[in-house]
Amino acid sequence: MRYYLNLIRQFIQASFQQELAYRSNFLIGLLHSLLSLGTGVLSLAVLFEQVESIQGWEFAATLAVLGVFMTVGALQNLFISPSLESLAGIGGDVLSGQLDFTLLRPVNKQFLVSFRRWQPFALIDLALGLGVLVVAITRMGSSVTSTGLITFVVLLASGMVVLYAILLAFTAMVFWSPGFLFTWVFSGVFQMARYPLGLYPGWLRLVLTWIIPVGLITTVPVQALTGDLEPAMLGGSLALAAGLLIAASWLFRVGLQRYASASS
Amino acid sequence: MNHRGGWALIQRTWLSWMQYRSFFFLLAFGWMIPPLIYLFVWSTAAGSQDVGGISRGEFVAYYLILILVNQLTYSQTNWTVGDEICYGRMNQMLLYPMSPLYHALASEIAGKVVYMIFVVPVTVVLALVLRPELHAGPGEVLAFIPALVLAWLLRFFWGYWLALLAFWAARSDALVAVQDALVFLLAGQIAPVALLPGALQDLAIALPFRYMVGFPVEVITGQVSGSAMITGFVIQIGWTVAAMLLYRVMWQRGLRRYTAIGG
Repeated sequence: MRYYLNLIRQFIQASFQQELAYRSNFLIGLLHSLLSLGTGVLSLAVLFEQVESIQGWEFAATLAVLGVFMTVGALQNLFISPSLESLAGIGGDVLSGQLDFTLLRPVNKQFLVSFRRWQPFALIDLALGLGVLVVAITRMGSSVTSTGLITFVVLLASGMVVLYAILLAFTAMVFWSPGFLFTWVFSGVFQMARYPLGLYPGWLRLVLTWIIPVGLITTVPVQALTGDLEPAMLGGSLALAAGLLIAASWLFRVGLQRYASASS
Repeated sequence: MNHRGGWALIQRTWLSWMQYRSFFFLLAFGWMIPPLIYLFVWSTAAGSQDVGGISRGEFVAYYLILILVNQLTYSQTNWTVGDEICYGRMNQMLLYPMSPLYHALASEIAGKVVYMIFVVPVTVVLALVLRPELHAGPGEVLAFIPALVLAWLLRFFWGYWLALLAFWAARSDALVAVQDALVFLLAGQIAPVALLPGALQDLAIALPFRYMVGFPVEVITGQVSGSAMITGFVIQIGWTVAAMLLYRVMWQRGLRRYTAIGG
């Protein structure tokens, strides 16, 4: 365990040193983050200018969903996506055969491909996302209980696990169909998680809860805050998170066996 | 101008793009998602009663047409031309016996055809499932066509002159990101312009972004008509001419500054 934590520290250091070489990128990154914050909040403001609430979702709770979406997305861009993209993205290690060198290392392979690359600029998004979340929870006011808050944090963590498991599973498919950008399909669908599932029609709600469960990542934690979460849903989403993680790890192991290196 | 050579280039580009169609289908899928989200959100909001005088079915029609218009007018030269200048690939284009504008036009046309092969069937299926309500008479359709053509011209030349800033600044993509955010907010994506609150609505009407996407959709769905439509057309034509002039000035000034090695 100590050994793995130490490795993560080394990976972070190496990635940060690489990124800091391009300092002007920091300003551009800041600009992008502020723009996405502005467009996200403004689009909610426009919507709730017209209606008080939609299907029981009011401004504060919807803002909380946006906050969770931004926070989770920032964590994803901090290390999960950069690491997995360098494995299976355009010019990734699977296509170029660079994965050979990863496989030779005496460390757990799934650990190595999941934590290898870090992107420091995502920390700006993380700060903004947490800020939105705090503002939203303050606006929700007295309806938030301390048990609600604790359940929220637990579900946020399990939502992170769900996101990681889905991304890992989509990444593992590169071993069967190299070149197809499965993670792009997912990031399109994940965009839908910036609004509560209640704002979508029934059939789509089912798809986004159980088939591609992006709803578990953002909507369900906020339901714990508003007190709309049924206990069965809490158990169900924790069980689904555990199941997905096991299934995705298995898929990655099976996929890895199919890896046959590149021509050289 | 060498139009025959230009046409050959367009054909060549289209054929080479079709090879990678699954990649472009993925891009088109990604671009469809944001308007699709607002389609669902607004039509749910208008489920029991009209919002701002627009019914559920009318929201569906508005956004389905917006998906098509957005895809048709989307300007990819925004991104590609800037890179070509930065990395010096502009050299090769300048050697061709025709204006480099043809390269942009060629990828524009190739892209539009490839995206439409994906987007049109998806939109038709969505229309069958979501039951849109569109009351467009021949008048609206007739006004829609010039509005759409102008929207494409405006977005194309607007994106092109912004991309030409790369002659002066290495990171002009920051400005492109700002303009994409403005398109998102003001072009009718997050809400039809009529539903934007006061100050935002005034901005949307004055700035060029609404005339790149939202305006043609408002015309065909009848959200804008009469004198408001005429004013809209005047502003749209004004911005289109301005964008073309900006393109000419930037191109002539920029080309004098352009230096690159190899190619």
